Amino acid sequence: MVLLAKIALGFGATVVMAGAYTFREGLLRVDVDESRVNGSHVHVWLPAAVVPMAIHFVPSRKLGEAGEHAGKFMPLVHALAKELQKYPEAELVEVQDGEQHVHIRTHNGTLLIDAEEPGQTVHVACPLATIDDVSRELADFAPAS
Amino acid sequence: MTNRTRHLFPVIAFLAAAALFAPLGIQAQTKANQSSTSAQGDRWLHVRVISTDSKGETVKVNVPLELAEKVLPAIDHDRLHNGKVRIGCMDCDGVDVRTLFEAVRTAKDGEFVTVQSNDADISVTKKNGQMLVHVHNKKKSKDAQIEVKVPMKVVEALLSGAKDELDIVAGLHALAGQGDVELVSVKDDENTIRVWLDSKNVTD
Repeated sequence: MVLLAKIALGFGATVVMAGAYTFREGLLRVDVDESRVNGSHVHVWLPAAVVPMAIHFVPSRKLGEAGEHAGKFMPLVHALAKELQKYPEAELVEVQDGEQHVHIRTHNGTLLIDAEEPGQTVHVACPLATIDDVSRELADFAPAS
Repeated sequence: MTNRTRHLFPVIAFLAAAALFAPLGIQAQTKANQSSTSAQGDRWLHVRVISTDSKGETVKVNVPLELAEKVLPAIDHDRLHNGKVRIGCMDCDGVDVRTLFEAVRTAKDGEFVTVQSNDADISVTKKNGQMLVHVHNKKKSKDAQIEVKVPMKVVEALLSGAKDELDIVAGLHALAGQGDVELVSVKDDENTIRVWLDSKNVTD
């Protein structure tokens, strides 16, 4: 009985530790909701720490394509993410136009983008450290200028 | 294992887990303290547009000047390279803008341009190291006016690059050295636009 309890405790502690490690950089969250008939509802919640790791499993051909299209912007994204990490709590942009509302801010070191209009809402939350990591990875695949 | 130690086991496990997690918490707290301390000396450029139409459109933009200074050199697009914008008309219609500015910079304070017409009153003044442009549009409402205030040091920094370019990064750096200042104010029947500089990271 004691042995089982020890195994259970060890397993539980491992799960807790693994969870804490996986979620140490926060959560990457994308929510898209269309409130029309057959409207799409996309909800992606991922531990941000797995994103840079997952890039290593993407075929290099695909990364090359991504780098070709977006690679030239990555130094800019990298600089922006790196600098924004110095402002973990900041209201950056807010646009209100009738029922349309766009809000871009940082909170707890996470970039939050909220866009709302009648019938559609988009919420994106991405830790700045993750943007920084991914932009660095993709910049390596940018075509040499 | 004795009964005594068996009872203590969960406590020990909890303490061990707490000890393992403690560094994460302390690190997070330290980071938060560092960021709030470093944020105290930051200069923020604010833009606010308020439309008085039925939709009540509002735009609020807050940009840390230091961020803009660091990010701009990373943009390499069209005329913007390395934080500098190439301007083709620095010698506009035979007027050498650089020489003109130099003349204004070294001149004493005073009102340089005054235009009074049926449409608008315009004045360009230099006062306390700042260039002030004031336009009163008479065709619009009584209060319709544009005010632009540019510190001379900022203009000087903007023109510090090559002859046909504006050094935006140098301009931002010079702007960061200024106190709280309202740079642009536009008021008319439809819109109110304000661009100003202060140390707050949010607008009211």
